[in-house]
Amino acid sequence: MKDIIWKLLRQHISKSQLIGFAIANLIGLTIVLLAVQFYRDVRPVFNDEESFISKDYLIITRAVTGAGAMMGNNGEFSDADIQDLENQPWCRQVGRFLNSDFAIDAQLGVGSGHAMHTQFFFEAIPDEFIDIDPNAWGFSLEKPEVPVVISRDYLSLYNFGFAATQGMPKISEGQAEMLPLEFTLSGNGQRKVMSGHIVGFSNRLNTVIVPQEFMEWANGYFGSGATQHPQRLIVEVNKPGDVKIEEYMDQHNYEVAGDKMSSSKANYFLTVISGIVIAVGVIISLLSFFVLMLSIYLLLQKNTRKLQDLLLLGYSPNQVSRHYILLVVALNAAVLVLAIILMLIGRMAYMDMIHAFGISGAGIWVSILVGILIMGAITAGNIHAIRQKVNSLWLLEK
Amino acid sequence: MELITLNNTLPRVFAGHNGIHSDVWLQDVRLERGKRYLISAESGTGKSSMCSYIYGYRQDYSGSIAFDGKDIHSLSIDQWCDIRQRHIAYLPQDMRLFGELTAMENVELKNRLTGFKTSEDIKRLFDTLGIADKLDSLASKLSIGQQQRVAIIRTLCQPFDFILLDEPVSHLDEENNRIVARLITDEAQRQGAGVIATSVGNHLKMDVDNTFNL
Repeated sequence: MKDIIWKLLRQHISKSQLIGFAIANLIGLTIVLLAVQFYRDVRPVFNDEESFISKDYLIITRAVTGAGAMMGNNGEFSDADIQDLENQPWCRQVGRFLNSDFAIDAQLGVGSGHAMHTQFFFEAIPDEFIDIDPNAWGFSLEKPEVPVVISRDYLSLYNFGFAATQGMPKISEGQAEMLPLEFTLSGNGQRKVMSGHIVGFSNRLNTVIVPQEFMEWANGYFGSGATQHPQRLIVEVNKPGDVKIEEYMDQHNYEVAGDKMSSSKANYFLTVISGIVIAVGVIISLLSFFVLMLSIYLLLQKNTRKLQDLLLLGYSPNQVSRHYILLVVALNAAVLVLAIILMLIGRMAYMDMIHAFGISGAGIWVSILVGILIMGAITAGNIHAIRQKVNSLWLLEK
Repeated sequence: MELITLNNTLPRVFAGHNGIHSDVWLQDVRLERGKRYLISAESGTGKSSMCSYIYGYRQDYSGSIAFDGKDIHSLSIDQWCDIRQRHIAYLPQDMRLFGELTAMENVELKNRLTGFKTSEDIKRLFDTLGIADKLDSLASKLSIGQQQRVAIIRTLCQPFDFILLDEPVSHLDEENNRIVARLITDEAQRQGAGVIATSVGNHLKMDVDNTFNL
């Protein structure tokens, strides 16, 4: 037997109103989900956690001024400078960049016969500041091989600047890591040829990093023996956006390397814009919620007599409202599923751009969860209103 | 449920009227299970109001109404649903059939809530009341008399301690009046239930224990 109650109650259901609601809510929810997803996908571009300087790290140098250079100020940080930095409340720890105090000649062997020579430099920082985890990091004299991490920009520079214009083949990161390197280290009357290879790429750090234990050994072996003061520091901070940091840097004439500051501004605008788009989506969803509410109220109003008669027969308000609740839940669930599908389609459209930044994009679960939460809230509101309305029909006269 | 009592009950619209001479309003009335009552009334004396108060869908009265001594104001919605499904069967004066459903669907709407009668039982009742050919007709297409009989069948599709009939035979002829009276008294007897029938003129043809003039 077919559901007789539904046969009764579905009368006066306005399909156009429900479709209107569904479309409006679909648009609103899709905007919200897409904005959330886009924000999460794009944020790593500005806030790269894989980067050598993740969001909690700043690299600082002294500003090079004509007067300073004239006075022999070579941009070094003294122990007192570092001490002062470490005492700042926003500073967690300070790492020193160690420079190579010897001559390096690098040879890149491409097949037999061809080789590229260049003068080279190394820097080292303590391992705890390295947040990528390169393979075979470290150094021992028994097996003297030099692992290096280079800036990803160097590879881009070669691929898009040099190779593209000179008809050279482009190389991937994997291929680059397989290239044999040969370093000729000299100084202090010593000379040594050591092999090496690239073990990782850093997104933002514009330098060549070797393990600190190698640098210490090499500086001792080839170096002049003079005490070295670092010219660059890496600072781990509590809050990268803190105004006090900027004030301190300005006051001491320090420069923060890279696009850290501008990227946090871009990040800020991304957040604001995403917030506005999400708010627009939420408002549309909210309006559509009222459209549905209105439609349900009209429906219940038109069916008042039938609902009352069902109650008189002994049907409980829950039994009667269940049908409308099922309708709303089914409708809202369909809108949610469609919105998620549209969000995924929209995402595909911009993912190529995200991939071009070398970022894989965030997971989709947070957006889906947001969708479920919004739809859950809307559905709960609908259910509450339906129950309220049906319950109000219980007594004809008080 | 054994006993329905009305204590000093009066529809609020009658408040302030002097000279109310009624066996029900402003009296103490006891309606016991197993007995049969006729509420005889003139039009406009509040007979349907009384039914709606007892059935719990209107509360615009003063005084009190109690089931087994318990004031019905204190009953929850769940308790009322239980009462409407298993303790009080009610035939409203205006029948309240669903015109867009067939006669059979109207009856089944009640019966599937209670599971009280089989499909065959229901068809037999249609047959007894001479409307077997109307099973699949839309209720809105039936004559008032036929609608009244469908509504009576629907009212019988539940267990009850009391059956409350608001002008059950107002649109029926003598013959059908007799048949309805027999059906109702038989069913009430089988269940040991009380019968409360109202009438403005065309009384249900059954023997009564007590008649109240409203």
